[in-house]
Amino acid sequence: MVRIVIDILLAVGVFFTFIGVLGVHRMPDVFGRLQASTCIATMGTLSVVLAGVIYGVSSGSEPMTYIKLAIILLLVMGTNPVSNHALCKAAYKMGVKPAKDLVIDDYKEDDPE
Amino acid sequence: MIEFLIAAIIYVLLNFVLLYRVFRGPTAADRMCAADSLDLVSATALVLYSLYSGRSIYMDISMVVALLGFVGTVFVARYLEGRL
Amino acid sequence: MQKPSKFAAWLSTFLFCLLFWLLLTLSLAPREIFWGVVISAIVAALASRFLIHHKAFYLYNPVRLVLLVVYCCTVFLWEVIKANVNMAKIVLSPSLRNYQAGIIRVPGSPEVKSEYGLAMVSNCITLTPGTITMDVAEDEQGNNYYYVHWIDVAETDRDKAGEAIKGRMERWIGRIWK
Repeated sequence: MVRIVIDILLAVGVFFTFIGVLGVHRMPDVFGRLQASTCIATMGTLSVVLAGVIYGVSSGSEPMTYIKLAIILLLVMGTNPVSNHALCKAAYKMGVKPAKDLVIDDYKEDDPE
Repeated sequence: MIEFLIAAIIYVLLNFVLLYRVFRGPTAADRMCAADSLDLVSATALVLYSLYSGRSIYMDISMVVALLGFVGTVFVARYLEGRL
Repeated sequence: MQKPSKFAAWLSTFLFCLLFWLLLTLSLAPREIFWGVVISAIVAALASRFLIHHKAFYLYNPVRLVLLVVYCCTVFLWEVIKANVNMAKIVLSPSLRNYQAGIIRVPGSPEVKSEYGLAMVSNCITLTPGTITMDVAEDEQGNNYYYVHWIDVAETDRDKAGEAIKGRMERWIGRIWK
């Protein structure tokens, strides 16, 4: 029973990581790639950590394992948006052209600096 | 359990797709985006291998990989923006 | 907004670092605690001016931490799962060209004023796949605006777009961080 739950969680994690990697490979411009790569950081890591916690509970591992898993989740979820934001702004300021014209572009009109 | 090893192998195989994007990417921002994702996927694969083998040293390495990938990405982004 | 004294900011950062150290080593041996105190003091002296801005002990409130955990486990998790499924639909569609990207200026609600709150709202927007915060700006009246890159623009009206992007999340964060 526990094994089935762990299998489902791992399958969800592998599927969403596959979505993220495929998005990074297929998207036409930088902004789409950044959007797709968020999938890896959220569902990919979250479901793997949940599977690890359930496995630890069922097999009775030491408490250090849970703390390390929680810290890895905290680090990934806390640092990934910052680097994504920095890369997105850097790509825009560098002058990377989007593959299709943007529907609405308030950032260019207002130009906050 | 063998499922952890299988999932870790799939994650490592997915890394090669990202590596292709790192070599191929048209601009520097594309390469850096793929490299950032590569860090995250390697960290998750290390977590899975640590759960399979039962040795917690791999989890420490995974923590360090996640942190250093973040620091490197932010530095390169600042450099590309021209404010370093 | 008065600034806290330097010692209070240092003490707050020092306690935070020491708690993190104890969590990482998980032992009470005297040698570990000695080196933890030394390293936390150095890190706090270097980093306190980045972490603490107006109230020194604002972060240590158990009610706030409990609310934060509840928020992360319910509202935020549901938003992330929904956005992930939408992203999977976009990536797996054969042509890939049926999305319309755009950068939209979204007004922030007046409840979220502090810097922790602004940072957390923009991080939550970035963590849901499909939206990335590019900048946070403040105008003369004190209103905050987020510039959001949205991969599938469904609304070009700015207020409705703000409600669709961050409506529930921002109300919860306004309850937690003010």
